[in-house]
Amino acid sequence: MSLALEMDFQYKTTLEKAWSALTDSNKLSEWIAENDFKPVVGHRFQFRHQPSEYWDGVVDGEVLIVESPNRLSYSWATGDERHTVTWTLTDQGNGTVNLHLDQTGFTNVHGLEGARYGWGGWFEKFEQVL
Amino acid sequence: MDENNRLRDVFDAVADPTRRRLIRLLAESSELPLHELTAQFEMGRTAVSKHLTILKEAGLVTDRKVGRETRFRLNAAPLKEIEDWVGFYRSYWNANMARLGRLLEEEDE
Repeated sequence: MSLALEMDFQYKTTLEKAWSALTDSNKLSEWIAENDFKPVVGHRFQFRHQPSEYWDGVVDGEVLIVESPNRLSYSWATGDERHTVTWTLTDQGNGTVNLHLDQTGFTNVHGLEGARYGWGGWFEKFEQVL
Repeated sequence: MDENNRLRDVFDAVADPTRRRLIRLLAESSELPLHELTAQFEMGRTAVSKHLTILKEAGLVTDRKVGRETRFRLNAAPLKEIEDWVGFYRSYWNANMARLGRLLEEEDE
């Protein structure tokens, strides 16, 4: 299976504050999960979510891109899933910052096929028939 | 048909652009005969028919004979598998981002 998810979020804040929320371990623990994140390329970290019956809650990551204060990317692995999360921060000029999230990845060979044929975005346009 | 009885994986079925287009065409009307579907493509009816068979094997399409023609209908339920996958992360991030919003607001105060 493959995952191709894009989302945008706007906040009344500054680029610096948004960047800090995405990269500071203490802040990350307040909105994602307890972690040992550092914004250093090659740094390996974990997000440790509350475990549930279905999920141990552990996400293993490695920092891939650090371009302060505009772009941050890390790998995201949990169970059989191997994803990449990329954040793009844009100052919209009116005191608002746009956070663009791009999460892509695979769980198995089907995912590789799916990504190659690009059906991830196709599916989203199709939600009304479900 | 449940997930385990299906002859073909839904992810394989939607991996092909022709089949995605067939799904969309079928989603737009309740039922279509083969010749109307074929008219939408450059390929011949045998090729379109092959794609429809794959969609049938994935449980995405059902067909029935009406007189001399076969009519096709979409069964969107298996697509749920894909939606759930994206949907899990969509709701995961929505919850996180709401917390981030509150965090940023608190910093402002």
